This record gives sequence, C-alpha cells and structure tokens, in this order.
Amino acid sequence: MSSSRPKSIVRKSSIRTALFGLLIFLAARSFEPYNQGQLAVTLILFIGILSIVILTGISGQISLGQGALMAVGGYSTALMIINLEMSLWIAVPLAIVSGGLAGLILGTVAARLSGPYLAGTTLVVALAIPSIANRFGSVFKGDEGLQVDVGYPPEWFVNTFGDPSYEMWQFYVALPFALISLFFASNLLLSRSGRVWRSIRDHEIASALTGVKVSRQKVFVFTISAAFAGLAGALYGLRGSVGPSTYPTSLSLMLLTGAILGGIRSIAGAFIGSVLVVFLPDWIDYAVHSFELSEQVSNYLPALVGGILLILTVVINPAGVAGGNHLHKHK
Amino acid sequence: MLEVTDLTTSYGSVIALNSVSMKVKESKITTVIGANGAGKSTLLRTISGLEKPSSGSITWNGQSLLHRRPEEIVRVGVAHVPEGHAVISALTVEENILMGSLFRRRTHKRDIALATEELYTLFPRLLERRKQLAGTLSGGERQMLAISRALVSRPSLLLLDEPSLGLAPLVVEQIIDSIKILSEKTGLTVLLVEQNANTALGVADHGVLLSLGKVVADRPAHELKADANLRAAYLGY
Amino acid sequence: MDTLIAALFTGTSRGAIYALVAMGLVLVWRGAGIVNFAQMGQAMFSTYIASTLIMNGYSYWLAFFVAIAAGALLGVFLDLVVMRPLSNKKQTELLSSQSMRSAVPVIASLGILGVLQALAGVIWAAEERGFQAPFAQEGYTIAGRVMPFTSFDLFVVTVVAITLILTVIFFKKTGVGLAMRASALDQEVAKLSGIRTNGVRALSWAISGAASSLAGLLLTPTSNLSPYTLDLALIIGFTAAVVGGLDSLPGSVIGGFILGFVISFVNYYMTPEDIYLAILAVLIFVLVVRPRGILGGKDTRRV
Repeated sequence: MSSSRPKSIVRKSSIRTALFGLLIFLAARSFEPYNQGQLAVTLILFIGILSIVILTGISGQISLGQGALMAVGGYSTALMIINLEMSLWIAVPLAIVSGGLAGLILGTVAARLSGPYLAGTTLVVALAIPSIANRFGSVFKGDEGLQVDVGYPPEWFVNTFGDPSYEMWQFYVALPFALISLFFASNLLLSRSGRVWRSIRDHEIASALTGVKVSRQKVFVFTISAAFAGLAGALYGLRGSVGPSTYPTSLSLMLLTGAILGGIRSIAGAFIGSVLVVFLPDWIDYAVHSFELSEQVSNYLPALVGGILLILTVVINPAGVAGGNHLHKHK
Repeated sequence: MLEVTDLTTSYGSVIALNSVSMKVKESKITTVIGANGAGKSTLLRTISGLEKPSSGSITWNGQSLLHRRPEEIVRVGVAHVPEGHAVISALTVEENILMGSLFRRRTHKRDIALATEELYTLFPRLLERRKQLAGTLSGGERQMLAISRALVSRPSLLLLDEPSLGLAPLVVEQIIDSIKILSEKTGLTVLLVEQNANTALGVADHGVLLSLGKVVADRPAHELKADANLRAAYLGY
Repeated sequence: MDTLIAALFTGTSRGAIYALVAMGLVLVWRGAGIVNFAQMGQAMFSTYIASTLIMNGYSYWLAFFVAIAAGALLGVFLDLVVMRPLSNKKQTELLSSQSMRSAVPVIASLGILGVLQALAGVIWAAEERGFQAPFAQEGYTIAGRVMPFTSFDLFVVTVVAITLILTVIFFKKTGVGLAMRASALDQEVAKLSGIRTNGVRALSWAISGAASSLAGLLLTPTSNLSPYTLDLALIIGFTAAVVGGLDSLPGSVIGGFILGFVISFVNYYMTPEDIYLAILAVLIFVLVVRPRGILGGKDTRRV
C-alpha cells in the first residue's frame, strides 16, 4: 500500500494543493470584484467546512458548535490585532492555537458523548460561547464587537503585482491559509490517523478491540477540527467586524448544511459545500429577480432553500454531491 | 397450506435462499433442517415479511404474503417466533403476552383472556412470574414467553426459529412436546427450524433439508431420519 | 427574602413549562428513537398560527386549541414526510457506519428546524407580534399583600400535572401506550406481534407536537414573537430531559423544574447573560456525574 507511506502522502497532498491553488487563482482573476470577495469568503468557509469533514465525516462525531469555535478564533485574533497591535499574518495563525485549545477543552467533554447527546451539548455550547462576549462586554465590546479588517497590501506587493481591488486583496489574504488547510487536511485523511478515525466512526467497539485508544483519538480529532474552525473564524472576522452577530448560531448550521450538501466525507465535498453556501443566496436572488419579492421573503428565502436542500440530501443521498455510493480511496 | 414457490432472497450479493420451493401441509409439523448458514432463518424471515425476496411467491391458504408488512402478515394468522431475541426484556411477562394480542383487542377481548389462560396452563412458570420483567427470566422461560406471545393471537401458522438454542435438553423436550400437543389439539400448522435435526425429526411429520439456500430433500420425517447418508453428508452425524 | 420567594415561584411556573418541552422530547425519543431538535420550531410555527388567528379576530381560546391541534398535525406531517422515508432507507455505504446512522436523523431534524424558521420568516416576519398569556400575570392579592404567584402560574402547573398524569397512565395502562413502548424498545418484535409501528410512531410525533405547541404558547412573551424566540427553550428542554433521564417521563418533569429553578435564580441573583453558561454548566455536570439522568434507566441506546 504505497499510498500510506508518508512521502507519497505528502506528494499527493502537494499536487492537490498546487492544482487547487492554481485553478482558484485563475478563477479569481477572471471575476469582477464582488465575486472575488465571494470567492474569498468561499475559501474561508472552505476551511470551516473542512473542520466538519474531519470531525463528522471522517470520525463520525457530530458537532453543532463549530460556529462558536470560529468565534473563539475570531475574537482571539481580533484582540491580538487591536490590543497587541500584531500583524494579521501572526495573529491569524495564532487562531489555530486558540481554536485548538478550545477544541481540546470541548473535546474532553464531548468525547464521552455520541449521537443526540453530543449534538445537543455542542448546540448548548454554540449558544453559550457567544453569550460570553456579552457577559464580559468591556473586553469583547458586547454587541458592537471589535473592528478589524484585512488592511491593505504592503508596498512590495503593490510594486511587484500591481494594486489589487479590495476584494482581490481579501482573496489574497485568505488563499495561503486555505491552501495550508487543504494540504494538512489531505495529509490527515490519507494518513494512518485518518484510517484510525474512520474505523472509530464505523465500528467503535471493534476499533477499541484492536487497541485504538478511542477517547484519546476523539479528543484529538476535536482539537484538530477546532484548530481549522478557529483559523476560519479569524479570517471570517477580518471581513470587517468581530461580534456576536458575526458568529450567530445559524453559522454552525450553515457549515453543517454546506458539508452535507457538498459531501461530508471528502475535501472536494467541503469545497463544493462552501461554494454552495456562499453563492446559493446570490443565485436565488438572481432567479427570483423578476418576481419582486418583499424584503422579508428575500431575507429568509436562502435559508428556506438551504433547509429544504438539506432535508432532501439527507433523505435521498446523505453522502452529498461529492459522496456517491462507490468506494472512494479515502472516505 | 403454505406454498412457497421459487423463493429467492439475497443480502446484497449473498444469495441466502436460492429458488426454494416447498409445501407445508396444514395441521402438520414440518421441520426445516440444515447446517449453519443454510438459509433456514432467512426462509422464516421472508415468510413473515421481515425480509423481502427478490423473486418467487409465498401463499398461505391461497392468499399471497408477498409485499406485505410483517404486522399485516400477523393479522392473516401467521405468527413468527424469531431466533434469539423474541421477547422485550424491559416489559413484564404479562405485557409481553398482551403485546401479541393488541391487534385483536377490540374485537376478541374474551377470546384473548381465554387464550392467555390456556397459555398460563401450558406454561405454569410464566403464571408465577407474570409481573416480572422478561429480562429476569431464564432462557427456557424466555422461550416459553416468546411462544406464548405468538400463540395468544391464535395463529393458524406458527413459524418457530431454533427454539432449542442455548437451552437444556430437558427444557427443549418440554417446549417441543407442548408444541406437538398444541398442534394436535388445535390443528395448528407448525414450520419448525432447528439446528438439532434429531430432536426436530423426532417430533415432526415432514422434513425439508436445506443446504446453502437450496432444497436438498423434502420427505416425510421418518424417512429423513432413517437416511444415514443424507445425515452424514449434510448434518454431520 | 422576598427575592428568594419570588425566584422560587417563578422557578416553579417556568419549570412547569420547561417540563412540557422536555416531555415532548422524551415522547419522541421513546416513540421514535430520535431527539427532535425541530420540536420548538414546530411550537413556534403553531404559535404563529394562533397569533394570526387572533389578529384576524378569532377568539383567544379557539386560537389556543387550534394551535395545539396544528402542532399535532405538523408533527405527524414531519414524521410522514421526513422521518419515515429516512428510516426506510436502503443500506448505503455511509449508513453502514454506526455513528452516521445516529447522526443522520439529528441532521434531518436540524434541517426541519431551519425550514420551519425560514418559512415562518417568509410568511410572517414582517409584523411585530406576540402571544398573550392565557391568564393574568398579576399576583393574587391575599390579605392585602400581593403574592408572588399568579393565576397564570397556577394554570401552568395544573396543566403540567394533568399532562404528566395522563401520559403516565397512557403508557402504563393502555393498549396503545404498550404498543408505543414496545415499538420503541424493539421494533422487530413489535411488528411480529402485529403492532403497526408506523402508526404508533406517528402518534408519538403527534402527542409530542401537541405538548410542545402548548409549551410554546405559554412561553411566548406578549409582544415578541420571532422565528428564533423559542431557541432558548429548546436547549433548556433538552438539558431538562437529559437531567431527568431521556427515557423517563417523570424524569423530564423533575428536570424541567430543576432547570426552572436554576434559571430563575440566575435571573434574580446574577445577570440574564449568565443563563446560557448556567445551562451549559448543568448539562456538563449531569453528563459527567450521572449521564443517564436522575430517573433514566440503563439503556443500550445510551451515551
């Protein structure tokens, strides 16, 4: 099984990452600014949905609190940028640590739970963490939140590559992190860890009998998945502000919806999901353009369509668009 | 009469029943024997509606049992006592028996009371323990309870799957004897699946030998019992 | 001292409503084997229906009972349209995995919640509306002093007590109740006993839908109904059910009152913001110390 050797895993992941980076870069270049901005958000949510693919798709643990973990990353980064005057290029990667830590704490509780107990507990967490922001309003600036953004490209960049639009700069900021996430996710899925997690997902008892320390692995997955979420949250906050309204409880559901629709078991699925989540509202807007709908309807329409698609996907083909029923190399 | 024609049931790519045909005569005890994996349980599960066949037909007294839900097949008079778990441990003995009669409660209240009494007479140990949770019963008592649950609805066809599994020979004898007495008294048709071919052939009128999903022999029980070659080849003794 | 008494009474009255929510969750858990995260979404939807009826001039109590009936019907509808196809699904590779099999119904119920909230938004969000409590919210005046409990509180506690007694009798003493218990414990044996498990499951969805709609009507503040009003009630109800034991109806009532008291005390002695953290603390405490809940039995479908 040469595919399990570390060197070939790294090679595979590098090729995937490079290809993806090239294709998405070309796509962004050909878009107009609005869609460039959308593509940037797509990359950010891609990272977030990867956290769900790793946690739920590969290791079978269902969490409704990924949005809250994004908030942890977002707040910690924003605080570092504002209070410690760090550059975003240092503060954002540090969100990986803060997110991971939160995931570690959450994981130690969550690892003993499964099914509805796990879902319910993470849901409560998802509602509890944002309330901390309001509780300690002096630090977190309550409802108003903290103002951060991606700033402007440095001089050397402008001199070499020209002056990008603001949205294109958002894309450029998100891209390296998305590529790193893709690389690591691909490695994880192809590695021995990935296999262990899949065995826990499919036959926990049998897996334990082969010597797998199930609880420890579950905590581990939670931590890693939260690290991804934290990173996504930091980038998400850089769109303008970090506050409770940036990370509503519906964010977790949105990530989960994207993961399911796209295909919860694969990286490709995560990307398809992020595209759907970001662009579907635009497409719906375009489709009903001629109908002259009231504001309330158009506000809620994307959520309605998303929810219906989620139910249909779960009932008809739970593996999602990328899933399919054939044997994939990594599932 | 139960008529099974060219019945084929598969689990994915595994063919468990391969074009099985047989006739089960009314008021007689027919036993289906064979090695592990021969398809015996699958046969009963297909008849009772728990498994869907891919082809073939099943008729009971002229009525087709195909494409019917298990709970509807029960109402036609076919009761199935599956192997292993056939009682609900968290319910009491009383409740388990009552469960089997719920579907006719509105129309046959008195008959149900009568049937329940008869079953308590047949299995006095159940009467003793009737308020106890089924999970606290011994293996033999649980089997008696499972059979009672099936019989309280006064079926005309009883599908019995490996009643002897895990039970002491004496208990098995007791249970099988009760079934025989019941069949003679009430004309109950019994389709009995058994690992223990000797015991089964001792009490049955007719025997069907299955091997790897196919019918290998279909003869009166005493003939099967006497055929040493067949026994050696398929049953290992 | 006055604060303490007020907190106790508020806790009792709110606790009773949370008990209803928890009971609804337990009913579907016992009857259909899933935790219905959409439950309070159904309640919100029914409350909107009641509110609409009142705004169009119908009598209060008519709207009240129509809402409860709508809740029951909506529950059956969801069972038929989403849950039944889900449980009939053929084996696929994804569903052969244990954890995915239990995750899929959870995700489905979340999808239902999302659809119900969005649908309510599309239909009704434009206007400000609320739902009045059925009884006065002022305290009784006894011997010249205003008591901290109101006729509303009395109504709520009575309703919950009656509901609890009725459901316990239903499950223990009736044939349909036995059929429900049997179907939830072992669907195959139930079917072989002639029990129409599909119908029984739909019934548990109906009863749960009615109970949670009642809770929703009682919880919704007089002036502020939105698609998200009852989200908090869901996690409170969930926590209450876990505290009491997810498969125990009396347990859910106990859990409801415990949560009622905890939240009431947090409201009176700390800040309302702390409620979420308090709920989380209670939940984690129970899951660590006694995962099966106060009255929960040893169940194989456990944590």
